[in-house]
Order: sequence, then C-alpha cells, then structure tokens
Amino acid sequence: MSDTALQPGGYILPEYEFTAPGDLTADEVRRYPVVIVGAGLSGLALACDLAERGVATVVLDDDNTIGVRGASSRGIVYAQKTLEMMDRLGIYERIRAKGVVWSVGKTLAGSEVVYEFDASSTSDSRQPPFINLQQFYLEWFMVDRVIEIGRTDLRWKSKVVGFETLADGARIEVETPAGRYVLEADWVCDCSGVNSFIRDCLRLDTHQARGIDRWCISDVRFKEPLPIERWTWVEAPFNDNRAVWQHLMADDVWRLDFQMGPETDIEHVSRPEVAAERVRRQLGEDVEFELVWVGPYSYRAQLIDNFRAGRTLFLGDSAHAMSPFGARGGNSGIQDADNLGWKLALVLSGRAPEALLDSYSAERRPAAQFNIMTTRRTARFLQPESPAEKLLRDAAISLAKEHPFARSLCNTGRLSNSYIYGQPPTSRAQRHKVRGVAVGEAVQNVPVGLPDGQAGTLVDLFRNGPAFVGIWSGALPALAAAVIRLANREAPVLRMLELGRAALGLSVLEDPAGKLGAALGAARGKPIFWLLRPDMHLAARIENPDAAKVSRALRGALHGRLQPERA
Amino acid sequence: MKTELNFTDHDAFYERLIAAHHGLDEAQSAQLNARLLLLLANQVGDGAVLAECVDAARRLFGPYSPPEA
Ligand SMILES: Cc1cc2nc3c(=O)[nH]c(=O)nc-3n(C[C@H](O)[C@H](O)[C@H](O)COP(=O)(O)OP(=O)(O)OC[C@H]3O[C@@H](n4cnc5c(N)ncnc54)[C@H](O)[C@@H]3O)c2cc1C
Repeated sequence: MSDTALQPGGYILPEYEFTAPGDLTADEVRRYPVVIVGAGLSGLALACDLAERGVATVVLDDDNTIGVRGASSRGIVYAQKTLEMMDRLGIYERIRAKGVVWSVGKTLAGSEVVYEFDASSTSDSRQPPFINLQQFYLEWFMVDRVIEIGRTDLRWKSKVVGFETLADGARIEVETPAGRYVLEADWVCDCSGVNSFIRDCLRLDTHQARGIDRWCISDVRFKEPLPIERWTWVEAPFNDNRAVWQHLMADDVWRLDFQMGPETDIEHVSRPEVAAERVRRQLGEDVEFELVWVGPYSYRAQLIDNFRAGRTLFLGDSAHAMSPFGARGGNSGIQDADNLGWKLALVLSGRAPEALLDSYSAERRPAAQFNIMTTRRTARFLQPESPAEKLLRDAAISLAKEHPFARSLCNTGRLSNSYIYGQPPTSRAQRHKVRGVAVGEAVQNVPVGLPDGQAGTLVDLFRNGPAFVGIWSGALPALAAAVIRLANREAPVLRMLELGRAALGLSVLEDPAGKLGAALGAARGKPIFWLLRPDMHLAARIENPDAAKVSRALRGALHGRLQPERA
Repeated sequence: MKTELNFTDHDAFYERLIAAHHGLDEAQSAQLNARLLLLLANQVGDGAVLAECVDAARRLFGPYSPPEA
C-alpha cells in the first residue's frame, strides 16, 4: 500500500514533542509491565482502555503525529460497537460532534438504485449504526484522552528496531532522535500495523494473499448538497463502468473512491489533474470543488495463526489485514483492544490466570477470519476475475432491478457488526429463534435507569466499576443471603444488580423503556441471571440461577470460557 | 439434493426452456441461463442443497476447491 500526499487540504494536525526518556541515560535496562508498539487506532484504543482501568503503559510510535504522514485519511466509517467503546472511553461526544451520522446506504448500477438499506431501524443503542470521521481525528481524540487520563507514557519518534523474546517478556530496542536505547517489557502489545517489524522478527506466517484490484481515492470538498448517505456504484458510467464510492466525512469533505483497471499506471491516475478530471466527470462540469487528497491503494489479506506468541500479543493490522470493503480493518483493530484490555488488566492484577489471554486469540482470530471472508466476497463481486464471474454479476444486477432477492446479491460491502464469540458463523444466521442476545454476543448500549437514579445507558455501568456486571431478574428472595455473600466476595471483579425490582437487596437497574429486558431476552416471572463481560459481550445466561451457579460462571469467564445456553 | 424426478411436468419445462432461448445469440443465451440459475437458486434457498447441486454440476470437470467458509 502506498500513500502519496498531495497537499495538506486545510487540515492542521498536531505534532507531538519527542522527550528523551530516562532510559537513554539510565545505567540499567528498565522494565515495564506493558509496552504497546504503534499509536494507530489499535494501539491508542488499547492504551486508552488500559489507562481507564488503571493500567500504566508505555506507547512507542515511530512518528510524531496522528494519521499517515501527508494528512491523508484511511479509515472513515466507524461502526456502532466501536462507537460504544468510545463512549466508555469518554470520547464519544467529540466523535459525534465532529463526525457525520448516517444509516442509509445505496448500491447503484448505472443511474439505478439496485439495493438500499437503512441500518437505523435495528438499533436501540445510544450510538448510531455508523459515524464517518477521518481516521486521524479519531486517533487525535484518543491521544488527547490518553494524555488527560495521565497514565500513559507516550513516546513519539521512537521506532522499534530490535526485538528479542525473553522467557518472561521481551527486550526491545528503540531508535530515537537522541539515540538508541533498550527496554524490557513483561507484556508487549504489537499494534504496529500491516508491516509489523516484531511479527516479522518472530517469523510468523501471515498467509498473505494480494488483491489485483487497484483503487484511487480522491477526497474533495464542494458545496453541492448531496444526500448524507453511502452510495456505491458497482458500475459507474462516469468511471468506465467500474465501481465508485461516495461518502461524506467531517469538514464537508467527501470521500470519492474510484476503482481502476488492474493494469492501471498508478502514478498517472494519482496525478492531481487526472484525479480532478475524474471528479469532474462524476460531479459535472459546473460544480466547483477542491481536491483535498489523492491516494492510490491496493489491498491484501493477511492473518497470523495465533494472536498470542507467549508474552507478545498482536492487535489490528499486524495480526490481520483485509480489503477496506465494509470498514472492517480499523473497527476490528479497535475491537481487538476492547477484547484484550480487560483481560490483560485482570491478569496483571492477579485476578485472572494467564490462560485468559488465550481466549483473546481464540475469540478475535475467528472474528478476523470472518472479516477476511466477508471482505473477500465483496472484493470478488467488485472485481470479477473471469468472463463467467462477470456474467453472473450481470445477471444479479439485472435481476436486482426487478426482484428483491437479487438486490442482496449485489455485494458492495457488508458493514461491520460486532462478532458473536464462541459460535460458528453458520449458527449466527440461524439464531434468530433465540430470545435476546446469545451467549458470546454483545449487548447494545441501550438506555437504563442507573442505580443512583440517573438516566443513563448500559455503558455507564462499565466505566469505572469492577470488571463484570451481573444482572438478576425474577430472583427468589430466599437466595438473598447467599447472593449478598457472593457479591461481597467477588466485589473487585463483579458488580451485581437487579433488573427492575429489589428481591435480593442488590442495587436496582431500571429499564423504563423495556429495551434492556428485550435485548437480554428477559421473561416475566422467569428467574434469569446474565453475566456481562467488561466488553459488554454476554458471558453466561443462567436460568433458575443461584449463587453457586453464578460463582461457577464467573470462574469460567475469568478463564475465558463462555457458558453455553441452558448448560 | 433431490435426484429422483421432481417436476410436475418435465417435458413441458424442457420445451419452455428451449423456447425461451429461441432467437437469442450466444451471449444472450448465457445471460438468460445465468438469470434463470439465480432465480431457481432462490427457490431452493437451502445452502446445503445448493452446495450439493454446485458440486454435482462441477463433477464433469474434475475437482475444485470450494472457498473457506
Ligand atoms: C483506503 C482505506 C480505507 C479504509 N477504510 C476504513 C474504514 O472506513 N473503517 C475502518 O475501520 N478501517 C478502514 N481502513 C483500515 C484501517 O485504516 C486500518 O485497519 C487501521 O489503520 C489499522 O490500525 P492499526 O492501529 O492496527 O495500524 P496502523 O493504523 O497502521 O498503525 C500502526 C502504527 O504503528 C506505527 N509503527 C509501525 N512500525 C513501527 C515501529 N517499528 N516502531 C514504532 N512504531 C511503529 C505506525 O507509525 C503507526 O502509527 C481503511 C484502509 C484503507 C487503506
């Protein structure tokens, strides 16, 4: 992938100072509990999450600003689960204020809309299905937040140039403007992106598959009001019947992304005057616009076999890479951090065994695999590799104009949902019969009445409290004594609440709109207990619960196990 | 996958299919078949049955590697 800078496009990005760390002059090599390599979306999300949980980290990044040098943006679409995490981390309001909320997507062939969706209808979350925002803004907000929390040692202009695994951690060599130094880490989180140095030092196979498809982004600013929707052309007449994306970002900048022929001369098509001509063909001769940035890209799929190698954990693009269709790259890196943060914090504090960290790979690798499969299918629809494939695509598009079923076949990207852990993807499609979320599935950030009487949302329960949240519904008062004993014993890792009515003497969580009960699948008069993990995925659902069953489920969850339904 | 006869009227179907191709050039016929294929696949719906059908159709040309799910 290459990113070429054209002009800063009016973005003024922060530059962070390099401060020479004490390590440079210390007599002995210093050791840190957690070192995060890379301050991109994944690394910053993890640093922020760990800081919120009270864990200090060192973050090493080779650059001194956010985003990719040259003021470009890669990621633009952030999905609900990501936005919910950002709510927990305290930066959602900034994202909401700066970004563009949207929910309608349209797929066009020629000038006809062949497929349309509105994602808002399926959502009870405080967060919308999607917000568009230039990637560097999200990174910027996270940097600000990390600095505000004040537990993270952010080291800019610090490039990892040496890496050696130790039995109890790793030794890392860092190059800085003031010279080189070595530090040691108990745990290393490699968030250094698709070309990870550490991953390659460890000789981990990425099973790389390169795409033949070529694209060229032209981010433009113009006044013409267009609908705030995601438009994707499978066949755009103004782009030689190849695909085009049209999507609004912050600052009135539109992302126009043009599919190029596989044999395209990338240098040529990224020249400003050539890019401007393309944009003119799309918008019409008389629309005035300003080119903010032009950049070509191609993509590849990569996936390592295990996201944990001893004391080194891999997150984001260093672990998995995929084509950008469906906005799964950055979102999945952030969700890696959402999955790992609480686990690492519990292991570091001695409240969970190291084995919990194996569940990080066991859960996030299938999620990455699913993303790679999903994006591969889109890529294949957008770039038929043979006349037969083209024929089938033509058939699908022509049928889509007449018949609803065929609209779904026109695959210009399946936007990212949060992954259901512990279930094969096939059962995902079949699980509509189950009431409420399945075990392993994330609960949406629905409105609730908090124990202190304030109106809030589910995320508020996970901000500063202990790790897990347990919710009782329809419990028998006879259990009260045992439950209270359990609550006291497990207080550091489990906060228990009662839904709607106090029968056990725990704090009460109100559900005025009935959204939480609906999300969980509560049933009137039926005693049920739900164990929610710190990432808001359901760890266990227990019918006819008692203190012993809950205690067992919690032990299991601390070992990274999900409790299957009706076990 | 059903392999025994399941048509209400197989001869009538075959005749109609041929008639539908009448007057079309090769490219149009291919397009007609592709459209028909997708329409029929949606009638079947069931993924396992469809996979069996795809594999059965392919058998004439030797093995292939189905995509990883
Ligand atoms: C055109 C395009 C569109 C996309 N659209 C979307 C989208 O809409 N939504 C979405 O979610 N994703 C999208 N993505 C994907 C997204 O940009 C990436 O998945 C995301 O940036 C990965 O984040 P990361 O933190 O894992 O890696 P990176 O963002 O690559 O960050 C890695 C960091 O590590 C630093 N680093 C690297 N090596 C070293 C070293 N040796 N020492 C110290 N520091 C180092 C780098 O400077 C960098 O800051 C898109 C990608 C492209 C190309």
